[in-house]
Amino acid sequence: MKTFLHVLLLMAVGALLVFTGCDDDPGKENVPELITEVTLTFTPAGGGSAVVVTATDPDGDGPQDLQVDGPITLAKNTTYVLTLELINGLLDPGDDGYYITEEIEEEADEHQFFFRFSEGVFASPTGSGNIKDTPSTPVGTINYLDEDDNGRPLGLSTSWTTDNVTVSDKSFRVMLKHQPGLKSATSTSLDGETDVDLTFVLHVN
Amino acid sequence: MKLLLVCFFWLWAVLAHSQCAYTLSGTVATEASELLSGASVELLPGTAVSSNEQGVFRFENLCAGSYRLRVRFIGFEPYEATVQVPASSSLAVILIVQQTLLDVVEVHDHFEHVAKTNNYKTLSGKELDETRGLSLGEALKKISGVSTIQTGPAIFKPVIHGLHSQRILILNNGIRQEGQQWGAEHAPEIDPFIASNIIVIKDASAIKYGTDALGGVVVVNPADLPTQKGIGGEVNMVAQTNGRAGTLSGMLEGGSEKFEGFGWRVQGTGRKSGDSNTPDYILSNTGFTEFNFSVAAGLHKKSKGIDFFFSRFQTELGILKGSSISSTEDLRTAMEREPPQYTQPFTYAIENPRQEVAHNLLKVNGHLHTDYGDFKMQYGFQYNTRKEFDIRRDSLNFIPAIDLELITNTLDAEWQQHTSKRFSSNAGLNTLIQINNNLPGTQRIPFIPDFTNYAGGLFYTGKLNLETWLVDFGVRYDYRYYNVVGFDFANRPYTSTYSFGNASFSFGATRSFKNRSAFITNLASSWRPPHVSELYSFGVHQSVAAIEYGLLLDETTGKVLDLNTVDFKNEKALKWVNSWHVANDRVTAEVTGYVNYVFNYTYLRPSGVTQTVRGAYPFFRYTQTNASFLGTDLFGKFNATTALSVTGMISLLRAYDQTNTDFLIYIPPNRYELGMEWKKSIGKNGPALTFEATALYVDQQRRAPRVVTVNEILDAYGNQQDPFENDSRNFDFLAPPPAYFLLSMQAGTSIWMGTTKLFILVRASNLANAAYREYTNRMRYYADEVGRNIALSLKFSF
Repeated sequence: MKTFLHVLLLMAVGALLVFTGCDDDPGKENVPELITEVTLTFTPAGGGSAVVVTATDPDGDGPQDLQVDGPITLAKNTTYVLTLELINGLLDPGDDGYYITEEIEEEADEHQFFFRFSEGVFASPTGSGNIKDTPSTPVGTINYLDEDDNGRPLGLSTSWTTDNVTVSDKSFRVMLKHQPGLKSATSTSLDGETDVDLTFVLHVN
Repeated sequence: MKLLLVCFFWLWAVLAHSQCAYTLSGTVATEASELLSGASVELLPGTAVSSNEQGVFRFENLCAGSYRLRVRFIGFEPYEATVQVPASSSLAVILIVQQTLLDVVEVHDHFEHVAKTNNYKTLSGKELDETRGLSLGEALKKISGVSTIQTGPAIFKPVIHGLHSQRILILNNGIRQEGQQWGAEHAPEIDPFIASNIIVIKDASAIKYGTDALGGVVVVNPADLPTQKGIGGEVNMVAQTNGRAGTLSGMLEGGSEKFEGFGWRVQGTGRKSGDSNTPDYILSNTGFTEFNFSVAAGLHKKSKGIDFFFSRFQTELGILKGSSISSTEDLRTAMEREPPQYTQPFTYAIENPRQEVAHNLLKVNGHLHTDYGDFKMQYGFQYNTRKEFDIRRDSLNFIPAIDLELITNTLDAEWQQHTSKRFSSNAGLNTLIQINNNLPGTQRIPFIPDFTNYAGGLFYTGKLNLETWLVDFGVRYDYRYYNVVGFDFANRPYTSTYSFGNASFSFGATRSFKNRSAFITNLASSWRPPHVSELYSFGVHQSVAAIEYGLLLDETTGKVLDLNTVDFKNEKALKWVNSWHVANDRVTAEVTGYVNYVFNYTYLRPSGVTQTVRGAYPFFRYTQTNASFLGTDLFGKFNATTALSVTGMISLLRAYDQTNTDFLIYIPPNRYELGMEWKKSIGKNGPALTFEATALYVDQQRRAPRVVTVNEILDAYGNQQDPFENDSRNFDFLAPPPAYFLLSMQAGTSIWMGTTKLFILVRASNLANAAYREYTNRMRYYADEVGRNIALSLKFSF
């Protein structure tokens, strides 16, 4: 009887010892999905210095708010090429995944940028852009300069021509949608999941 | 269809030839006329049942002949007698309190988990058979006072009197179930087919099992291992129309002639379901695959015994794809869209977002009877893994966003002593060593950190038998130590160590009356140390557009703080439950009233809006408050005639945030259920058929927090305002869904074919195919509940 109890005890204690020695040192994760910095570069088609604005969110999902610089100040009657650059600042520039722009190019058939802007700012495109609030929101066209393998727009590069008016405190919104299996000839800004949604103040002088 | 027809014809053929239609029933009581529920009643050769809450047992569809009846209950002398079928009247079995030490063979009787002064309810026998094909959480809804927190059609978590997750203790075969139970979409990793009965203890007095039982305890009990030679088993098959789901479960058990007292059992279950559907559309990506098995063996001698048990639970389940959102605007779009985004034709395929969960349990327990009392020791090893896959970019889709392993060792020792005829006591020690690891490679900042958890507890309980009164009391002290290693929002490492300690107590009394009724009162104070997730959570949960911050994350900088610098107190609950029940030939009734006051109730409270690159996001922070839960459970069954009975069940609950004079979110609304059962024998000696119809009415949750819509949040944010800055009352994105009414019907029969018993049940739920939404389902923002479902269950016992 006593030996029986001993065997039980030994077995249990032994098992406890076997399974306790596995407290390992956790490794730091790369976090390639996090976008901490989005840069908009408006380059005048006719030459001249580019207009650059950046939105930075150093803590990702942390409680600190996004820092948006700007305003975007464009010249009247000018055509610009807008290029977008997305960076994950928690990684080092040499790391895979630092330049998120590259990943979006690789997955162009699942991504699309959408834009909304105050009406009357641009001569081309006209209207107020292609971001929808509801399925029935009317949308305009955007001058996409790039496309995916299926010939559908991507939007890392777009063309914008300002109108011949001086305006201030207008808005310019950029949205990136991830649309795996959803991007199609009829997909809109309401499809898929939002990767980027930023609004800047826009002036035209 | 053809198969179904063949099946029916075959059934008719069997029915036509069956001559075994006798019923044997009776009650089990003590000498003091106290009814014993949960007694093991065996009719040999053949079958075994447990007596119900009213001490009643019943065997149906018996062939005429002579049987051996054996009734066992812990602490009582076994009763054995030869009975003749048909019997002239109902049997009255009186068990005599055991004077000597317990007989070895039945020492691991499952009802040792429940004290007579507990308010508990058992699901066993036919009632349990009727839940076959459902998950554990969903099956428990049959018990009044129990509801579920749900994520889609596959994830059900039990809620007892308004509390769930870390506030409910689940005992799986005597071992504390340790999984990632902190998540509202993390269902208990248990195969309900291992259970021969499931007990829900609704008071907080299960002091033997340690912290966390603030809401109650769910005890999942396998049947005793056989101790006599011979092989038996059962096969369960369930087919369901909704989800085109199938379940197959088999069990084989036996005893040995060579080794006296040796018994074994092997058991396995497979479940597969495709996309479920609402009355109007498919719920895409809600299928699941489950595979579970268990092996048990035991050797029981006169004064000692040992048991081994191993079980594995493994599931892969999809989460409604349309609920995958990553910004507040996505949430608005998803809430307005019906059917949800990504809805496609039915498939069994499971895509992201999905979960892969496995749970392994190894248990060894031994017991020993000496002149100094009974000793019991058990060791449990649990290995739990959880992978959650989100819709991500590119190759990240193939790696989990959450990848956790949880290793738990428990060692429990217990000493039970019968000091005198009147007094018995129980003392014990529980220890736990647990390691939680984030497996590297998720490419995301871990939602919860790695941790090591050492816990220990000591308890003492005493039971005093004063004839009409039965009194018990218990005290307990627990200690827990955490060592935490994690990464904050900026991927900077942090480490901390904490310890928590506190005492719990319970007091219960039962007064039995001659008219087969009893009054039970139970007052218990329990506590729980915080879970690491409540202290350190960081990130966005699957399918909820809200960021969650642990209690220790600084409000402005997001840095991890030291526990000693924040205002934190352990959560404690004081729960008082009173119930009265009666059972006689005509009426079975139970009335339970409870109040549970939870001090420092830790919950997610809306705290503000933060802007990320993906847009504005509301964030929730774990905060503490004092909360009260006040409720009533009513159950009544009235046998109008021998054929017809009416059952009613009501669960009422009001929960309140006392500190902030506010309502709490996700509190189950009031439920009302009315059922009718009709029994009929086919022919003179044919098998009995039962028909049941049930109407369920679930009221709208009228005590819900205010509504702050996504538009209001976005508009306020657009105007540079924080909608929660000056008003941090709880809120919900949508108002609670309206009340709903569901009808269900079922018909069942059991047939003897030689020594094989076949139980057949056809069940139709949501018969009217009503489109409705459940307040406590987190998918209610996106889609309706499942529509009509017709299930056919077959159970062969041999």
